[in-house]
Amino acid sequence: MNYFQLFNIEATFDIDLQNLSSSYQALQKAVHPDKFAHASEQEQRIAVQKSAHINDAYQTLKNPLQRAEYILIQRGVDMPNEQNTFGDTSFLMRQMELREMLEDVKFASDIDAALFEVQRVLSTEYQQLSSSMQVQISENNSASNDAACDNLRKLKFYQKLNIEVDRLEDSLFEN
Amino acid sequence: MALLQIAEPGQSTVPHEHRLAAGIDLGTTNSLIASVQSGSASTLSDNQGNDILPSVVSYQEDNVLVGQAAQAFSIDDAQNTITSAKRLIGRSLSDIQSKYPSLPYDFCGDENHPEFVTRQGKVNPVQVSAEILKTLNTRAQAALGGELTGVVITVPAHFDDAQRQSTKDAAKLAGVNVLRLLNEPTAAAVAYGLDSGQEGVIAVYDLGGGTFDISILRLNKGVFEVLATGGDSALGGDDFDVVLVDYLVEQADLVRPLSPALERQLMQQACFAKERLTDNEQVDITLSLADGKDWTTKLSKQQFNELISTLVNKTLRACRRTLKDASITVDEVIEVVMVGGSTRVPLVRSEVEKHFNKPPLTSIDPDKVVAIGAAIQADILAGNKPDSDMLLLDVTPLSLGLETMGGLVEKVIARNTTIPVAKAQEFTTFKDGQTAMAVHVLQGERELVDDCRSLARFELRGIPAMTAGAAHIRVTFKVDADGLLSVSAMEKSTGVESSIEVKPSFGLDDSKISQMIKDSMSNAAEDMQARMLKEQQVEASRVIESVQAALVADSRLLNSDEIASIEDMIKSLAQVSQADDVKAIENALDKINAGTDVFAERRMDSSISQALAGQAVDKI
Repeated sequence: MNYFQLFNIEATFDIDLQNLSSSYQALQKAVHPDKFAHASEQEQRIAVQKSAHINDAYQTLKNPLQRAEYILIQRGVDMPNEQNTFGDTSFLMRQMELREMLEDVKFASDIDAALFEVQRVLSTEYQQLSSSMQVQISENNSASNDAACDNLRKLKFYQKLNIEVDRLEDSLFEN
Repeated sequence: MALLQIAEPGQSTVPHEHRLAAGIDLGTTNSLIASVQSGSASTLSDNQGNDILPSVVSYQEDNVLVGQAAQAFSIDDAQNTITSAKRLIGRSLSDIQSKYPSLPYDFCGDENHPEFVTRQGKVNPVQVSAEILKTLNTRAQAALGGELTGVVITVPAHFDDAQRQSTKDAAKLAGVNVLRLLNEPTAAAVAYGLDSGQEGVIAVYDLGGGTFDISILRLNKGVFEVLATGGDSALGGDDFDVVLVDYLVEQADLVRPLSPALERQLMQQACFAKERLTDNEQVDITLSLADGKDWTTKLSKQQFNELISTLVNKTLRACRRTLKDASITVDEVIEVVMVGGSTRVPLVRSEVEKHFNKPPLTSIDPDKVVAIGAAIQADILAGNKPDSDMLLLDVTPLSLGLETMGGLVEKVIARNTTIPVAKAQEFTTFKDGQTAMAVHVLQGERELVDDCRSLARFELRGIPAMTAGAAHIRVTFKVDADGLLSVSAMEKSTGVESSIEVKPSFGLDDSKISQMIKDSMSNAAEDMQARMLKEQQVEASRVIESVQAALVADSRLLNSDEIASIEDMIKSLAQVSQADDVKAIENALDKINAGTDVFAERRMDSSISQALAGQAVDKI
């Protein structure tokens, strides 16, 4: 049973999150360890396993990048290892520019504005990549799946940058 | 004439027995126990009518005092009277001494297992907590008229693994069965949510004596889903007292080190002044000094606010970060629930109101709300409300990971992941022919090992010699519904499962706990035997009851041979559990567990498909 079947929803990228969430809650109401706290150790153990599996499935489908990766793996697309080198030099150049932009924030005269600008740029570029990935996933042929896979890898770069932005924001708040 | 009772088809014909259960708020300063009786939860009082038990334990010549009685000794016999043990549980000696340099205790034991020297000998923080739990358990048994099936004990949401494990160990030592460790803010949300019937996102701001938690939850049709939690396990109202004490020491020109009695007196005066400043603009503080003279000063609310403002700001920073983790904006929060005695401090209330842009909710007694919520959960977990719709989905407060090359931490489970959770990560060898691997488990958000909390170390041995990078070692992290972690490891490519030995970095290992249980009993060997027998008998009756109920409900999942074999196993388990052979009961339990494994799995899968079938009907 794959994750989509588990939650009884259609296997597409564009899922109804409300639906996913209510299926998730219904499933947890059936198997959560709290429902078996007075049962035998065996039932408690199985409940923990099932409940953990449902949690994992839910997190995977809820998060857009994890959902995309899950769909592509289900289609048999070969996910390149994250450590593999990335061929698209213009994309890598852009990443370096963005990193420099981020590093310059703390020297800006108006730090708030600079931080906001970085966030705006990152979000715009993320959205562009994300919508083209979405189209490629729905096309579902060998070439489009490979292209979606490429875009997914690029989106992960943006995800990492966003974590750096959060860290920077935290450290600026601290002072 | 009384009407005859007929059971619903498929249900047990035995009328449902109400199991006694309770919720315990094991606090830094005060502890409480509550229980659901005839449908409503309330705190239980001792025979003097007090429901609050000060978390103080005093070791006297020939007895151990707990609560108010112990508190009387806290100044004159400070060394033998332990207060706020919760701040010390699951912590290292250097941790304790750097955070609380002026504690009046005489410490001994090694770095990772600190103990106090009292006139009754060495005592560790787990034993101190166990004394408090014993007292509460005795009180509940007297009030409810019987032995408890189990209890729910609350812990600060961001207590780490060692602190949680130590709390559970304390319960074990006290002979109390723990149904669940429940996060304090989640308990408060339950008490609040069931009371108000509100739906939507709420924030629980919980400032206790020694800990601070902030949790963001979504309430929806009986489901309490924790979206994110944060806080500080070493920040609470006691710290307000500490800054005030430091201020007084400076004002009175006192030079440290001071006598334990004077330190205690300062703490009490500071705490008293803090409490009076809730309703007064200015208070007088008087100290009786060693030379027999009194020293007096005045303190205004304004001065006090200035002293504590850094600490209050620290809590607000945690609120901001936790909201962000939950992807929730301040405007989406419909209510802020205040929990913990320290939320009575006016500056705390006004700053929280400013931060969340709405007046915080203080209608439920902030001292009792956690125990009440725990009691409601305990009642459900004990099985007294089979039709309850309530479900708590909690999260891991801190990220869990492993040490990799260069002293870096590789995260395996991120903070705010819903529990229970199981995640695996693969690692490989660094050198040719490497046959062992040191696994170091850490908890925390930072990237360097030195900045995270060490939870355990173990060695994976017997890896077949291969070239560097050829072995695939799969390390699996599991966090159960109590938020407790277990770790296992195996070498994948050859299928060789290697032995692991877990050495907890803090807290006590199992053998030490059973030794302590033995030591605490007068007739050690027999008592231990009796205790083990009783535990096995309870488990046997639980298994028989649940397998019988399963057969009634789901025999359609079995063929007639399978049914017959299960019925046989029930019969032999019932037979041996009447006698007093612990080993025989254990064997019969093992047999029935193995023999019903497939059945239990099928039932669980069937309830999964039924859950969604029911939902599809709801949607139409």
